[in-house]
Amino acid sequence: MAASPAKENPTNPVTGVVRPLATAAKQFTKSLFRPSTIVYPYERLEDPTFRGKVAVAAGRPIGVGDVWDNYRGVHALNIATCISCNLCAFSCPDICIEMVTVAGGDPKHPKKCPQIDYGKCSYCGFCSDACPEGCLTMTTRYELSVTKRAEMVYPPERLHEVFQRKLPMNPIRLERPANEDNILLDAPLCIGCNACARDCPTKCITMLDVAKPTPKPGEKLPRRIWKEPVVNDSDCVRCGTCISVCPKECLFWGTHK
Amino acid sequence: MWINMGPQHPMTHGLWNLRVRIEGEIIEEVDPEMGYLHRGIEKISEDRHYNEVITLMDRTCYVAGMSWEHLYIIAAEQALHLEPPERAQFIRTLADELQRIASHLMWYAAFVQDLGLMTPFLYGMRDRDLILDLFQSFTGARMTYEYNRAGGVRNDLPNGFTDRARKVMDWLDARFVEYDQLCLDSDIFHRRCDGLGVLSARDCIDWGVTGPMLRSAGIKRDLRKDRPYAAYDRVEFDVAVADGADVTARYLVRMEEMRQAVRIVRQTLDWLDKHPGPVLAERLPRWLGAPYAPVGREGYLLKRNYPTGRGFSSVEEPHGEAQAYVVNTGGEHPYRVKFRSPVFVNIAAAQKYLPGYRVADIPPIMGSVDVCVGEVDR
Repeated sequence: MAASPAKENPTNPVTGVVRPLATAAKQFTKSLFRPSTIVYPYERLEDPTFRGKVAVAAGRPIGVGDVWDNYRGVHALNIATCISCNLCAFSCPDICIEMVTVAGGDPKHPKKCPQIDYGKCSYCGFCSDACPEGCLTMTTRYELSVTKRAEMVYPPERLHEVFQRKLPMNPIRLERPANEDNILLDAPLCIGCNACARDCPTKCITMLDVAKPTPKPGEKLPRRIWKEPVVNDSDCVRCGTCISVCPKECLFWGTHK
Repeated sequence: MWINMGPQHPMTHGLWNLRVRIEGEIIEEVDPEMGYLHRGIEKISEDRHYNEVITLMDRTCYVAGMSWEHLYIIAAEQALHLEPPERAQFIRTLADELQRIASHLMWYAAFVQDLGLMTPFLYGMRDRDLILDLFQSFTGARMTYEYNRAGGVRNDLPNGFTDRARKVMDWLDARFVEYDQLCLDSDIFHRRCDGLGVLSARDCIDWGVTGPMLRSAGIKRDLRKDRPYAAYDRVEFDVAVADGADVTARYLVRMEEMRQAVRIVRQTLDWLDKHPGPVLAERLPRWLGAPYAPVGREGYLLKRNYPTGRGFSSVEEPHGEAQAYVVNTGGEHPYRVKFRSPVFVNIAAAQKYLPGYRVADIPPIMGSVDVCVGEVDR
């Protein structure tokens, strides 16, 4: 295919140069009074005093806006309300959350809170959506540059510091799914070992006595503790910890008949 | 003589290589090479829960993340037998059109810079930031939104959003006039673009070229009209068509599409003001989506008898027609996910629309294609 000749030029060579220049000159004059940019880092978008000064919200769209409350930046963790349910770590698509031991727990069963590796984090917010207690949220803080890779890993204590700064936090909380499965028990397999009730983060499992059957002549009763877990479904956060610690695999997801 | 334009070249807008055989100044033959940005998104998707794939969709095309989220989520909802609420459909339509404006503004900025015009580049990027601000106020991020969920969208629009969005739309309306003054009225622009990169309607169909490139050849094909999804059958708009099939025609089509997008955004904003309601029909059960919890017994998920299914969707993305296919075999992950990228096809057709022109014409022609390498290689 040969190069097609240029079309008949529809514009006048003089106005074709002058008119675009005039448009640019108009914008240039405007920008002298109302600049489109801010002087970062001396001015910051997330600074509350700066809000509304140049923002779209104030009715003056000039090119910059706010960092809104629901911005997904660094996480804030309230260690006091964290129940160590592991749901944030399970929900993380990048597997950047690890549950590590924090001070102030029972030495036999230490308290574990999320530690986040920001080298891997994609800021999707699934962890804060998953958090049943609202203790892991995301803040508007976004400046994270460090000089060492190890500093990208935020232990729970450092996430708690972010929480204590009382930065604007993501106000949107998702409701729990309505069609959640419950924890069910396969009773004949249970040995009453108490592992589920011991590790349940919300303590919604209680071990209730079951009647010890009277053995028929010649029949041997199984060696077990005659107790069975009963789950309080309204308190349960569906973290599945009980299922993963059960030595006999007698707990499972399902719906009540 | 063969020359390599790329993988690091100002013309490429990303990592891909255009091998060109030239005879003097005239292009004789073209060999586009893609694959430098391959991340295996389709394979990674098979190892993720249905909602977690959305995080990949934003990174598939980094200038039109919302359209790709929408594309995937339609297919996923079909496969999972979920029906999003009406309000979520309108919010998705609104987000899609905002994304179309943002993507076209990004194209405008990059394209005019290819022509050597610096001023319109700054205007395009400035106005795109207003759209990103809107996105940030209701999704929580500027580019990687993670906003759609199977069964709806994550959260409702914040208070005062519709008023802010209307202000931005008014602002953009005035800017579109300015863009045309800077480009269409300019002598330099026409000398640089007229009659370049002609791909006739017949060739467009033969090569599978879609989107603004197809419409610039005079073919009135737009999935939003021909096969409406979300709420597109309930808003009024015209399909932007131009004649000429050259670089200027593609410019005209995209400019008109932005104007029509503003029109659609205004209609959806009016609807959303009047019709409050839920935006997320039902959250996926824990064992099928994030958050994920241990499932316990082996084979439990298969025993659940959750309905299996397949989902196919095709969406008019800013670059063209994108398609997705999701297979649900009853497990917690999709069995297979497949995407069709429009830009991959549009670049491949360079073998047809580049030969015959000069080497200096390559930047404007490839600029008018609107290349996004993230979705080419996936």
